[in-house]
Amino acid sequence: MAHADGGLGRPTRWVLALVASCVLCVADPTGEAQAQGVPAALPKAVGTFTYWGGLIFSEEANTMLVQRIKQWGKERGVPVDVVMINQNETVQRVSAAVEAGTMPDALDMGRDLMLLLSRNNRLEPVDDVFDRIGGEHGGWLPSADSATNPKDFGGKRYGVPFGTSGNLLNRRDDLLSAAGAKDPPQTWEELSKLAAAVQRPPKYYGMGFALSNVGDGNLTTSMLQSWGGRIGDDAGKRCTLDSPPTRAFLKWITEAHAAGLFPPGVTTWDGAGDNTAYQSGQAIFIANPGSVYLYLKKNDPELAKSSKYSALPRGPAMRVAPQNPNVRAIPATGKNKQLAKNLLVYLADDKFMADYYNYAIYGPVLNSQKTASVFRESPLHAGLLDLALNGTPPGFPDVANAALAEYETNFLTPKMVQKVVVDKKSIQAAVQETQAACQAIYDKHK
Amino acid sequence: MVRDRSRAVTRPPGARETSGQATRKLTLSLTQRNSLLGYLLVAPVLVCLSLLVVYPFLFAIWISFTDRTVGAEGRFIGLGNYAYLLWQPSFQATIWNTVVLVGVVQTLKLAAGLGVAVLLNQPIRGRRFWRGLVLLPWAMPAFVAFITWKLLYAPQGGAFNLVLLGLGLVDSHVDFLSTKALAMPSVIVATFWRGFPFWVISFLAALQSVPRELYEAAAIDGAGAWQRFHHVTLPSIRHVVLVVLLLSTIWTTNGFENVWLLTQGGPSDATMTFPVLAYLGLQSLRIGEAAAVSVSMLPIFAMLALFVAKLLQEE
Repeated sequence: MAHADGGLGRPTRWVLALVASCVLCVADPTGEAQAQGVPAALPKAVGTFTYWGGLIFSEEANTMLVQRIKQWGKERGVPVDVVMINQNETVQRVSAAVEAGTMPDALDMGRDLMLLLSRNNRLEPVDDVFDRIGGEHGGWLPSADSATNPKDFGGKRYGVPFGTSGNLLNRRDDLLSAAGAKDPPQTWEELSKLAAAVQRPPKYYGMGFALSNVGDGNLTTSMLQSWGGRIGDDAGKRCTLDSPPTRAFLKWITEAHAAGLFPPGVTTWDGAGDNTAYQSGQAIFIANPGSVYLYLKKNDPELAKSSKYSALPRGPAMRVAPQNPNVRAIPATGKNKQLAKNLLVYLADDKFMADYYNYAIYGPVLNSQKTASVFRESPLHAGLLDLALNGTPPGFPDVANAALAEYETNFLTPKMVQKVVVDKKSIQAAVQETQAACQAIYDKHK
Repeated sequence: MVRDRSRAVTRPPGARETSGQATRKLTLSLTQRNSLLGYLLVAPVLVCLSLLVVYPFLFAIWISFTDRTVGAEGRFIGLGNYAYLLWQPSFQATIWNTVVLVGVVQTLKLAAGLGVAVLLNQPIRGRRFWRGLVLLPWAMPAFVAFITWKLLYAPQGGAFNLVLLGLGLVDSHVDFLSTKALAMPSVIVATFWRGFPFWVISFLAALQSVPRELYEAAAIDGAGAWQRFHHVTLPSIRHVVLVVLLLSTIWTTNGFENVWLLTQGGPSDATMTFPVLAYLGLQSLRIGEAAAVSVSMLPIFAMLALFVAKLLQEE
């Protein structure tokens, strides 16, 4: 059938194309080959395909995600409903949906929730999608790979990372530079000394870190770990909080509080407490994942210019700068699992993600994403790239298991600090009481 | 004619009339038929209540005896969750905080509600305006109200601190919400402010239904203002006071926004209440524990409801 010019005749080309399509479909259960609008050999959607996206501070990023998913649905003739959920409410929404059997077809979530749900077999394994995306994008960054490592999840992967988040140290470079501190503090102790030297209360305070019962307050756990303190043992079975490094950390932070380095109200700050303090010029240092940067860029260019971003400082024992890849997951009860897998592949598109990172406050998870221009041009994103490459795994140096997750959701470290600075208990008593509460949690998970 | 119709109505389909005795057994009196109709009419409501109230209520009690987590059935562990909670310092603080919060807030609401209602029942100038104004805190969404209170309490730039500093009453800012001694009083004031209009309006409605003749008779008998209030007003609105007390106590105990938006239960559990503790339990997906926190409020409510019901019955 070969033609004289070395090409193939039209019928032959049609047959080959047909065969190739069939092979592609069989070898490509996720349907990525059809990702760019080629009619897909995917199962028909059962009802409306529902996606729960995690709402972030950037409206542009939220809109981009919604439009991308709708575009995917349009290309495949799948009716799509995208619901953006406040990430503070994800746990409640998911809990209710699991109990009621109304989980969406796919959703965004954090690693802790993935851990808790996977333990109860509520998530679909996505090893195939993970491997496929990794293979097509130059491989996963080690941080993303380890955060979903099957050995922590009973031998399977339950989430496909899409963005690394974590705290960066935001600092008022204008004030610090004027005092001769041009570089970011390398240790927490250096930070507290700088804070004491530069702050001018009640106008602005040095250490804008929450010590309250909110997620931001759990930064104190990272601080504690950087002092060498541990929440649990290497097996993740026993609480080992009561130790000399824990007491040393507690001494440092409570002395800083007593010295007036924290703004008033930090023990009852809500999730936006540090944002408000920094944005209103009342804090020199805060730890923030990027929402403050986005706000300043849009609303206060002058303060944005005066701000710099760097990794969290070291403690006396090590640097603990947790990176937490956010993942997309598929509920085990989903009626459109094959379509959901196809969507996850579609969303990992390099061009889309490069555009998305411009507005979202996430670091990369794939090697192909590292080269996106935003990670060179934006100081915050450069910090997020650094976090993705050099940050510490979730929970490190502790075992990031369900017991540690419950320890964190009970805010036991900030509460331990509160026992000293609010209840005026001794460091000894605060550590012992917290050790007891911590052990009770670890006992439940044995 | 009535008797004949009743036979036709009450005879089951397909049943045959074999004797006069059988017919009499199937016959219902008018009263019985009315009762039956009544039961039939309330049946849909009973079914709805069973599905929406009784079942979830009993289910919550059941799961409080299990180690159920989201997505897992869990197993029966008896009083395990309650034992765990009782041992927790947070739970012990929660019991005390709830008693203080509810006790003080309800007392304040009763006093202020009654006082303002009596005042607004007088022929004062601009009475309608004042009656409308007093409803404002109640009409305002709880979220807005408590965020506003949080701003008022703020140590930096908060209105209270500006006033106190401006008047020279304090040397430095007062940390209302983060100081252990002030956190609960601050939550109490905000909760009272948000809730007392309901008492005012309820009492005002009750006051307007007290016959004027009673006051006139008391005045003729030489009763003073306090005696008229004590011997005429209070007995006349007693039943409303009891019902409002019951409802408001339940609402205040179950209140979440006031504590969560102001302090998140802190500092150091100084304002931790049952709903906030249950919410935090749910964050760990431990439904059994969270249910145990909620159910542990049940005996208090049950006793209160029985107490109020008994008083109303006596009336």
